[in-house]
Amino acid sequence: MSATAATTPLLAVRGVRAAYGKIEALKGVDIEINRGEIVALIGANGAGKSTLMMTIFGRPRARAGTIEYDGRDITGVSTHEIARLRIAQSPEGRRIFPRMSVAENLQMGADATECSEAEREAGLERVFALFPRLKERIAQRGGTLSGGEQQMLAIGRALMSRPRLLMLDEPSLGLAPLIARQIFDAIRTLNRQDGLTVLIVEQNANHALKLAHRGYVMVNGLITLSGTGGELLQRPEIRAAYLEGGRHG
Amino acid sequence: MSATSARPSHAAQPSGSAFILKKALISAAVALVLFSLMIGIRTEAGPQGGLIYWTRFGDLAALVGTVFGGSIIIELLRQWWGPVDKEHIVPKPVQAAMSFAGRWLAPALLVFAFLVPVIFYNQRYILDLSILVLTYVMLGWGLNVVVGLAGLLDLGYVAFYAVGAYSYALLATNFGLSFWVCLPLAGILAAFWGVLLGFPVLRLRGDYLAIVTLAFGEIIRLVIINWQSLTGGPNGVSGIPRPTLFGIPLDNSDDGLAAKLGIDFSPTHRIVFLFYLILAMALLTNWVTIRLRRLPIGRAWEALREDEVACRALGINVTTTKLTAFATGAMFGGFAGAFFATRQGFISPESFTFQESALVLAIVVLGGMGSQLGVALAALTMIGGFELFRGFDQYRMLVFGIAMVLLMIWRPRGLIGHRAPTVFLERNQAISSDLVKEGHG
Repeated sequence: MSATAATTPLLAVRGVRAAYGKIEALKGVDIEINRGEIVALIGANGAGKSTLMMTIFGRPRARAGTIEYDGRDITGVSTHEIARLRIAQSPEGRRIFPRMSVAENLQMGADATECSEAEREAGLERVFALFPRLKERIAQRGGTLSGGEQQMLAIGRALMSRPRLLMLDEPSLGLAPLIARQIFDAIRTLNRQDGLTVLIVEQNANHALKLAHRGYVMVNGLITLSGTGGELLQRPEIRAAYLEGGRHG
Repeated sequence: MSATSARPSHAAQPSGSAFILKKALISAAVALVLFSLMIGIRTEAGPQGGLIYWTRFGDLAALVGTVFGGSIIIELLRQWWGPVDKEHIVPKPVQAAMSFAGRWLAPALLVFAFLVPVIFYNQRYILDLSILVLTYVMLGWGLNVVVGLAGLLDLGYVAFYAVGAYSYALLATNFGLSFWVCLPLAGILAAFWGVLLGFPVLRLRGDYLAIVTLAFGEIIRLVIINWQSLTGGPNGVSGIPRPTLFGIPLDNSDDGLAAKLGIDFSPTHRIVFLFYLILAMALLTNWVTIRLRRLPIGRAWEALREDEVACRALGINVTTTKLTAFATGAMFGGFAGAFFATRQGFISPESFTFQESALVLAIVVLGGMGSQLGVALAALTMIGGFELFRGFDQYRMLVFGIAMVLLMIWRPRGLIGHRAPTVFLERNQAISSDLVKEGHG
């Protein structure tokens, strides 16, 4: 890795626009993710957070702007090629394969990138170290897992492709607070131990901003605020919009 | 059982003899009202043009009594069985017996299949029927790749069967190519048509996909009917050469197999040869499918059936995954088609109607999507069962309808709805088989 590669951000999104038919979901978004960072993207429903994540992954395609990953322009590259560049995604709503076993679900993550048997074994060890629960459930069908276990499986599946950038869409969605905390702890561990770069899209702004090094706030397809996690948590408009109002108990 | 001895009922569902009697009485009352005019009183125009009527209270009483008794029986059955969606605990010995049967059923069937020509050598009818069943087993296994594994509902599978059959028929009659040269060609051509169908339907799922594939099947059939100069139109293609054993014909001639082996010629030789041919082709289909399921492409097919969005999120190339599924399924359909042509010696568009597609699809669905053994059993039941009920011509559709409804109530995922995982971790294997059974359902 050259000196310039170390200083440029791992992912740079510049002026990206994306739309579903005539409805514009992203209206010129700029974000940057540095190596080894956890970046949180927060915002209300329909702000375009998930769309941004999916646009980075190549579907829907960006209509304008550029997406640069590791110094390479990946705008318009198809999703399966982006996966080979070791960007992994855990989609919204977990979306594990319900009739396939936990082992098969994890294998699906490894299939996307050609990896050797040793790498696959190492990947499994890493996932099991992070989520010991998955090891206990290895032969069970994905659909029989609890919500928290399914989320662990979704993250584990994404990790099996040995990503350099992991993108998580609402990992705490529909989970009990205690389980959500476990998931967030696991993400922190991944980041601290392996230096994994993480982009996390969340509605749970409090958790996400505490976890993240930096955060972006998205409103109606535009980034309106950015700063370190701590800074954003102190902003009165953030507190009003995403914390006090949306806090449960 | 007396009316006063009503047992304490289940939480939500009332039971007990009082409830059963009440329900039976209500049913009987409804039956009495309905049938009193329909059955009880009969009217007819008399010889003078006036209306005469007579009563049939005996018949009426019999019917109402039947309804009363039937209602009690149904209610007792229902209470014995419990709610339909409830998990039933199967007793341990039964479970053990079933798992034993499950383990030995497939090998036993295979051995039996190999022995069929030996056992039934003199029964031409059974040999012919076995060949028919095996053809459908092969078609079922081929369609299973598309529908069962990849989850792409294909209602036009017969198109590939037709492409395979006409490929062999036309290549053989026009260019004199042998069956063994044409067989791979038929497969390749069918696979090519599979890809051709695959492209326009890449974005479609579920109902829309079903409609387009249905139309595709009809288009192929209509083209065959109307392209008279090539396909002979409705008259079909006749005089299709019979298959040879690596160039040795199975006929009465001096070069025939019987003459070469120095045994007496019998037409059964050819039938037995055809039987083993289709058996080998079906087993090849099965073997390839089982192997593919353990490779990334096979896993991708199954993942595609489960969740297309998740597949994209994992970076699976959905386009190639779908196209390979269509091509693989179509190729096996093409092989089966070539076999059909050589077996019949004559083909016409009438053999490739939508009904064939529906039949093969029913086999796959009844067998349990994705289960190889289930598809084989379903083919045996559907095709063999159809023959079995040939005597009751008028009732066989009724019997099949009822059987299908019952099957879908009790085994909504098909005869063998259980799916065997393809990825194992060596050290966990002991736990895995236990847990897999737990999830059986």
